[in-house]
Amino acid sequence: MTTALAASRPPTSIGLQSIAGRIGFLPALLVALVAGMSTIDPQFYGVINILNILRNASFLAIVACGQALVIIAGGFDLSVGAVVALASVVTAKTMAVTAAAFPGNNALIIASGVAAGLGCGSVVGLINGLCVAKLKVSGFVVTLGTMSATAGVGLMITSGIPVYGMPEVFVKGFGRAQVFGLPTAVYVALAVIIIMMFAQRRTLFGRYVYAIGGNVDAAVVSGVSIQRHIVGTYVTSSVLAALAGILLTAQVGSGQASFGGDRMMLQSIAAAVIGGVSLRGGVGRIEIVAISALFLTILGNALNLLHIDSRLQPVFLGVIMVAAVALDELSRRRKPRV
Amino acid sequence: MSDAELSVAAKETCKDTGHARWLPAQRLWRAMLPIALVVLLLGFAAVDGRVLSPANLLNIAQQTSYLALFAMAQTVVILTRGFDLALGPAVSMVSVGTALAMAGATASGHGTAAVLLAGLGAGFGLGIACGLFNGVVIAVLGVNPFVATLGSYNIAIGVATTLSAGRPVQGVPGLFSQIFYGGSVLGVPAAIVITVTVGLILHLTLVRTVFGRSLYIIGTNPRAAAVAGLPVKRILTLTYMLCSVLAALGAIMMTARTGSGEPNLGGSLSLQAIAGAVVGGTSLAGGRGGVGTAVLGALFVTILSNGMNLTRIDGYVQMVVLGAIVIIGVLLDRLRLERSQ
Repeated sequence: MTTALAASRPPTSIGLQSIAGRIGFLPALLVALVAGMSTIDPQFYGVINILNILRNASFLAIVACGQALVIIAGGFDLSVGAVVALASVVTAKTMAVTAAAFPGNNALIIASGVAAGLGCGSVVGLINGLCVAKLKVSGFVVTLGTMSATAGVGLMITSGIPVYGMPEVFVKGFGRAQVFGLPTAVYVALAVIIIMMFAQRRTLFGRYVYAIGGNVDAAVVSGVSIQRHIVGTYVTSSVLAALAGILLTAQVGSGQASFGGDRMMLQSIAAAVIGGVSLRGGVGRIEIVAISALFLTILGNALNLLHIDSRLQPVFLGVIMVAAVALDELSRRRKPRV
Repeated sequence: MSDAELSVAAKETCKDTGHARWLPAQRLWRAMLPIALVVLLLGFAAVDGRVLSPANLLNIAQQTSYLALFAMAQTVVILTRGFDLALGPAVSMVSVGTALAMAGATASGHGTAAVLLAGLGAGFGLGIACGLFNGVVIAVLGVNPFVATLGSYNIAIGVATTLSAGRPVQGVPGLFSQIFYGGSVLGVPAAIVITVTVGLILHLTLVRTVFGRSLYIIGTNPRAAAVAGLPVKRILTLTYMLCSVLAALGAIMMTARTGSGEPNLGGSLSLQAIAGAVVGGTSLAGGRGGVGTAVLGALFVTILSNGMNLTRIDGYVQMVVLGAIVIIGVLLDRLRLERSQ
């Protein structure tokens, strides 16, 4: 841990400082963490551990990408954790019901389950977006409300009991499968990141999201249709959360209302913010958020491997999170304003 | 800036926030939440007569006093455009710390007074430490309140579970529970007495002192507050400390109720307290709200869940209803604000 913290101290020479300013502290922290862990514990770079890290990082990265988009547009999505749970439950339940009606028709069963999961995600996103955009209620409050409601619906459907009855091929052939040595979730996450990067840089939607988050009034005056794009960010966030829920369901093999939750929500916001997304809106890049999700996952893994008492681990997470953002803030302040 | 000038500025903000003049239509909008409360109570009473029984009304008042205290704590920081996600875990941490200190003092053979002092000292000490951390990170280091208190959220959870080894801490003396839970003044339970007293003091602080008025100024326009010469960093730090001290008081009262230090006492209290404050009409945009909005919101949420419990509405359905209420409450509040402008 000491190595990671030492490496994160602001560099003194001017050349180093400008480099750190350009790429941020995060990649340096990540490299230091990986290098430090590799020397301390050879288990860290074992194949099983690396696959484990990548898989967990994929779930977090997918959710964090959506969260980042909402934050860049100047909003907040507290409901992502609950959407992960709801999508998991709905997907598993739909598959179980379809399997009972059309036994053996795996393509139909899986398609209906995935469609239902993504569908309920987009419904929650639509409610969030419409409340924020049309009714002008703050995103924090709207998603606080839908978080409670969504979690309630998930528990109502299952009564808190895991849902089984998904086709074998969905679990063994997709959720737990590996393609070219990597879990399928990693490919899905990479696809999401690439699509989101493209959307951010090359599409009107992406550019407008920055414009809205940077200065709403200016965006309105420039003729950007604010409402449509804000709804778009919330729907994207919820659909991505639902996607993560479906992937988790496929890996575990049952739909559970306990997936996601507050922890996933807080982690996705932490990943976005440590990844340089400004909570004031208008600033942030998806690829850095993905790196930040990887960093948080590796950090949790490292604390486990170092045998740090699981009760004490949140303390480290909290301190490092605050330190990372505070250092970033201080380095930005030191930079001369152009 | 002299104190006189400051108080003039404070009066200006006071006018802006709508405390000065009420037109009849505004009065109606303002009375909406209290009316909704009465309708809600009568509605539940129509389904089940026990809702309006004196025993249940006292029960509601007692339950409300805890949530109201936490909503007040949250309101203080929300006034300055912040919030405190760490409130819930801080409650757990204070509960565990208080119980451990009292158990330790009892074990080393101290007198009752010393044991109680040790417990209160540890509880408020942890609260102050948590608030100081939040305040310094937010005000001095300039970290966003969400991230800063998310950090202390994790830290407080870690401290609470490590200190208690994840188990309830026994050894809370009976006298402690008697003072902060079982006791009563003129027949009014201790929890209500404490919350009403603290609420009155906090209200006077917010409305009548320079410190209180500066919270509204900072929330309404932080840049103007800084330009006007307010020591914004110091005030913000104090605000987060005040928030955590109020949370610590609530934690001590809840520890007295359960009779043990609970590492999970805080649970989802952070968001519940924010919901309570916001439903009552506290604006997350800062500068609008007070003790009244916090108490109203807490009362509303408590009556709703009490009524749904008595009318046997499924717990999961209650979550959905509460979620919808939060959104509707804020929506109505926004409409009310638009009307009054």
